[in-house]
Amino acid sequence: MAKVLIVDDTAFMRKLLKNILFGAGFDIAGEAENGKQAVELYKGLKPDVVTMDVVMPEMTGIDALKQIKSVDKDAKIVMCTAVGQEKIVKTAIKLGARGYIIKPFQAPKVIEEIKKVVGE
Amino acid sequence: MSSKVHLRTPAKIYNEGWVDTELVVTNESLFIGKQKISLGEIEDLEDIEKEGIRCIQIKNDKKLILQLPKNIHQQVFRFIAFNLKADKFAVYFLASATVGGVVSATVQWEKGYFSVTDEGLWFLSSKYQQRIPIDNLGSIKKDMRDVGGKQRMVLVLSHVEKSNVVTSLVLCPESTLEMLESYLMRVFERHKPAISLSENEKQILTLIYSGLDFASIENMIGISTDELNEYYDRLVNAGLAKVVKIRKEIELTPRGVSMVDKISKG
Repeated sequence: MAKVLIVDDTAFMRKLLKNILFGAGFDIAGEAENGKQAVELYKGLKPDVVTMDVVMPEMTGIDALKQIKSVDKDAKIVMCTAVGQEKIVKTAIKLGARGYIIKPFQAPKVIEEIKKVVGE
Repeated sequence: MSSKVHLRTPAKIYNEGWVDTELVVTNESLFIGKQKISLGEIEDLEDIEKEGIRCIQIKNDKKLILQLPKNIHQQVFRFIAFNLKADKFAVYFLASATVGGVVSATVQWEKGYFSVTDEGLWFLSSKYQQRIPIDNLGSIKKDMRDVGGKQRMVLVLSHVEKSNVVTSLVLCPESTLEMLESYLMRVFERHKPAISLSENEKQILTLIYSGLDFASIENMIGISTDELNEYYDRLVNAGLAKVVKIRKEIELTPRGVSMVDKISKG
């Protein structure tokens, strides 16, 4: 099954995504709590897909997306944003994000989006 | 009945059972049998199901449930929706722009009205009449969005629809938008439940929305079954959740234990 790297600055959201994705049969490659950690972990873990929060300390999801894409242009990254951040989603898509989920999210929708991106 | 008659049709009204009647729609009123209801007195309208049949529920000083021939149901619903007692604003709207966190690819901006009654908000256009109960409204805020290639200030409404969080957008001149926002905020504050949630309660609500079951929530929050039951009671009592299933907790009788013993010995 596909390996997912979960990136979010709140432990609660990471735990929730981990629970949803693990329950759907995905392997959790790792967790990062900011963009900087995400870039480092991506290089080492080579996950199949990354769920990337947008607003994080140290390095934002958008900057992490740019850096990951610069080391792996085929990286599959799904942005996790809050309602009202759709503008950021557009920027992310232009930068190569493959999909997005908007918080608060429901498990079936998250699984559907990740499966769609993994299956591309 | 001096006003112009738009439509006359056989109908049924629900009164502890269906009763045959006639509905006459004029430009000012509805006549249901001998009963006259001025359109301007209708406070709310809903498309509901009664005994498995699609009906129209009208609320003025009381609630009336009408069953109409299928081919004119929508026409009558639309007419009442456009004419009921409400504050109406000419706007462009994008209803259900995102559903459950996913952007809807099929919806388009519509030219029409945004209408506010005591109990609901309406998106109205010739082909679209959607009611959002005010109790289902989650938040209201202004934001810049790309509309037809230009950055425009819009009003973003988040609301609940069939257990999904949905966002809808309203576009109108900025002065109207300001006024609409403060007006809606007042309506929203009036309907907001008077409850403040603890961090655990906020997390539990989020987990329930995400679809996690009881055991997963117990594990994630790190609390006991009894504690989670107490949280559930508080959320139910506050009107934020409802009970859909009661779990049974059982323990084995001596006969049950003896049966397990036999099973384990093959």
